[in-house]
Amino acid sequence: MDIETLHLGPIKIKNKIAIRLFSALDDRLGVKEILDDEVFEKIVPAHLGFWSCFGGISFFLFISQVLTGMLLMVYYEPTIEEAHGTVAMIMNEVPFGWLIRGAHAWGSNLMLVTIMIHMVKIYVSGIYKPPRELNWVVGVTLFLLTLGLSFTGYLLPWTQLAYWATVVGTETPAALPYVGEYIRYAMRGGEEIGQVTLTRFFAIHVMLLPVITASVIGLHLIQIRRQGIAGPM
Amino acid sequence: MAEQTQYTKKKECEVKALPMEEKKRLVREGKAHWFFPGHIIEQIVLCGFVVLILITLSTVWPAHLGEKADPFDTPDHIKPEWYFLAAYYSLRLAEYTDFMGAWAPKIMGIVAQQVAVTILILVPFLDRNVNERRPGKRPIAIALGILAALMAIVFTILGAVV
Repeated sequence: MDIETLHLGPIKIKNKIAIRLFSALDDRLGVKEILDDEVFEKIVPAHLGFWSCFGGISFFLFISQVLTGMLLMVYYEPTIEEAHGTVAMIMNEVPFGWLIRGAHAWGSNLMLVTIMIHMVKIYVSGIYKPPRELNWVVGVTLFLLTLGLSFTGYLLPWTQLAYWATVVGTETPAALPYVGEYIRYAMRGGEEIGQVTLTRFFAIHVMLLPVITASVIGLHLIQIRRQGIAGPM
Repeated sequence: MAEQTQYTKKKECEVKALPMEEKKRLVREGKAHWFFPGHIIEQIVLCGFVVLILITLSTVWPAHLGEKADPFDTPDHIKPEWYFLAAYYSLRLAEYTDFMGAWAPKIMGIVAQQVAVTILILVPFLDRNVNERRPGKRPIAIALGILAALMAIVFTILGAVV
């Protein structure tokens, strides 16, 4: 690229060094094309209103959960002796620990609310209809994954309420014929809820489900990109 | 109007391939907005607003940390979080199916939950009215949707009360 002025949408860059740096990147990676396609020459439909933003907000809340979750992991210890104490420490001693845990706890509740609003909006305006059937299926999967994240995260502070809610929650599938007892055993990592259960829930909450959820969010977004945003009714 | 429908029915790659003049025309006619800077600023403001809500909620109602778990002390009332109350109540409701036999109360609740989730997943394939999107023209789908939402709300409230 040998030019006087670099045009990026409404931005004009005349600085020679900036243009040379940008040209070097563009020669090697073709960034101009990507930036034009994805940012500077991209248009979005004008008909999107208030009710259309809740999917995006759910996505942002997921990112917020990942970030606050990473910070909580710095101090949290997933052992039945230390879990409760380390969460108390996060709340009382760690600078802004109360805020990070607050944002994580409220974020999980808020994320479920925004997903529900998003689902109602998609249902009422019939956006699940062809060609977007598959994306509804992926979306419901994301809702269930979020419920799984909430269920496993709830136990981690090892409080009385969380412990007994998990006793009930893991007891429920045991009623199923043939597989029920086995499911309960697999969820608890034994007959009783104890250290193995906490380790297991911790691993599922911070690794397994976040990685799966992030991948499925990817599938959700790829489908939106391929099909475009649904038009007005 | 016909043109707008045409534009909004295009796939992402087709919109991307529109000539610059055409994009400018769509923006000029109010059918589309530029992603940069308008839309992107909108998104950032929206995210900032969500962060503000999280900070406000965490400050006004700080996250609660109950007492440490004691496996030898069963509390009187065990309630799940609000989003599991409806499922919890469906288990309680299933206790009334004992007229079908001793096996029913335990299994009917969890089976009902599985059926509900399966129906939710299959919504696009159960709704055979594939072309009409306006809610006013889909009385059955909307009625069933309201019924399901009401049931979820009522079950949640009953789950909290019972």
